[in-house]
Amino acid sequence: MKVEQGTAAAQADGKGNAAPPSLNRYAWAALFAFTLAYPAAVSFDNYLLHVGITIAFNVALAASMWLIWSLGLVSFAHAGFMAIGAYTSALLLTKLGWPMWIGMPLGAILAGAAAVAISLPLMRTRAVYFFMASWSVGEVIKRTIAYFDGLTGGWNGVFDILPPTIDLGPIQINFADRIAYYYLAVVICAIIVLCIYRINDSRTGMIHWSISENELLAEHIGINVFKHKVIGFTIACVFAAVTGALYAHYQTFISPKSFDIWKSEFALVHIIVGGLTTVGGPVVGAISLTVIDETLRATGPFRVILFGVILIATVLLLPGGLETIPGRIRRALRGRKSS
Amino acid sequence: MSFDEIPQMLVTGLSLGLMYALIAIGLTLIFGVMRIVQYGHGEMYMLGAFFLYYWTAKWGLPYWLGVAASASVIFVLGAILQQTLFQAVHGRNILYSLAIGMGLIFIFSSGGQIIFGTTVKGIPKFATGGILVMGGFLSYERIVISIVSASLVVGLWLFLQKTRTGMAIRAVSEDPETSALQGIRTRQIHWVAFGLGSALAAIAGCLMGTLLSIVPTMGFVATIKAFMIVIMGGLGSIPGALVGGIILGMIDSVVTTVISADIAIIMSFVVIFLILVFRPSGLFGQQWT
Repeated sequence: MKVEQGTAAAQADGKGNAAPPSLNRYAWAALFAFTLAYPAAVSFDNYLLHVGITIAFNVALAASMWLIWSLGLVSFAHAGFMAIGAYTSALLLTKLGWPMWIGMPLGAILAGAAAVAISLPLMRTRAVYFFMASWSVGEVIKRTIAYFDGLTGGWNGVFDILPPTIDLGPIQINFADRIAYYYLAVVICAIIVLCIYRINDSRTGMIHWSISENELLAEHIGINVFKHKVIGFTIACVFAAVTGALYAHYQTFISPKSFDIWKSEFALVHIIVGGLTTVGGPVVGAISLTVIDETLRATGPFRVILFGVILIATVLLLPGGLETIPGRIRRALRGRKSS
Repeated sequence: MSFDEIPQMLVTGLSLGLMYALIAIGLTLIFGVMRIVQYGHGEMYMLGAFFLYYWTAKWGLPYWLGVAASASVIFVLGAILQQTLFQAVHGRNILYSLAIGMGLIFIFSSGGQIIFGTTVKGIPKFATGGILVMGGFLSYERIVISIVSASLVVGLWLFLQKTRTGMAIRAVSEDPETSALQGIRTRQIHWVAFGLGSALAAIAGCLMGTLLSIVPTMGFVATIKAFMIVIMGGLGSIPGALVGGIILGMIDSVVTTVISADIAIIMSFVVIFLILVFRPSGLFGQQWT
């Protein structure tokens, strides 16, 4: 076991972030403090709060997809699992009147069960085949939901998904209020990112990276690769389902089109632009790209073209993404000093 | 459904399947040689169709010359894209080629909406009328298109088997290092195969655009179909792409006629999933790491 930890640690260090951990912690704390102060900073402007909530969704999605990537897999089933969470919670509310506090955990459990069931055969495939198989899983989930239109409303979708309320006698919060929903989204997103950070920081995270580096070698030093892949994939899908439920109750309307392949594609774009080796990557990528996206909303198709250009430019000119910028600056400074 | 519809259904399935196979063969050729996933392959199909639209409907030039011109233009475009973008990510994780392909989809399909407009267009037909076979109506257009796509597949097969360049392409797909040692210029083979694959997609776009209609966003649907076929058949395998294409074409035609279009799509995904569960590398594929 010691040997295993040693190699995995060495690999994790090789991939490790450039900044020392203490500095990293300050950056995270500053980011979290800023998100808490954000509504006051934008003087409770409704549109800017909406941008903040969208960012929280995108961060949670990109971070959970990144957890799958840390196993060396690219999964496009993500939007599908998001749909499972969203539809479970939405239908429980509209058909049975159960609030989101019950619907969201049930959606997460359902998505988790589906993820285990699907990943048992899915994990037999590797690399490119896994990517394509996960893609077809996402499409099947979306189209199956659309097909059972008696229950799910088909392509027309589900309407009137009310936001939840808290009623504890003296304390009453109605999440139809945007500020309240902003804090709900931020807190859940922060919990998801923290969980992923902790998983990645633990022994499990090292095992994930060792699988992604060399699956065969990992298996030979006694790691149960299949089990870790299934568990990692399931956890990420549960997070996607939670995000989906949160999304449904915010938009108050969902249709199968909301969970198109584009959702997964954009999450992948966020990861690639942000960075691949730490959870900071998807967070930074999702925040910066969502901000760009919202500022350019008025330009229509040009916005999508710009996304394409950014993506290709990142891959060719800044491999490793935005997260490598501090390291690059530091190296440049050090290089100047020595010369 | 009556028995009259059966021949029509089969011919429709076959012609659809052959055109799907053309797109998928292009994709599989590119994968075989470079080991990258060209996610933006469908955009070549869209651009090919739009080139033919401008050629025939706007400039009034002959149809078949336009197909050839479209194929050559897209061949050059594919070769340029390979040299400028895809060569840089050759040999790296599939994530990077995926990212570049995704970027191309964003650029081409949105750029297409700006330049070509979002209205549905049709390429002028080159033949009208048709014949009745066993009570089913077959248009001359569909028959000619099926024959053309079938002969293209055969032609490509002969090209890969008999010519020097074709053999070099197969050698590089088999083992890049050894073929480089034998004096094959692998980098040159990369752009030749990439251009050829893109040109095949462009021809399929021209033919499909003639039968159906064209919009700037049609490329992504073609990508989906091509990927489904390639998964079924196995990456890098040309017979696999042909068989996969015909299976998918038949599902599309038969299930859509007999049951519904929604079920046809769900069913084709389920078929793919089952194939992957029992043969994780597709019907004719190998395990790529």
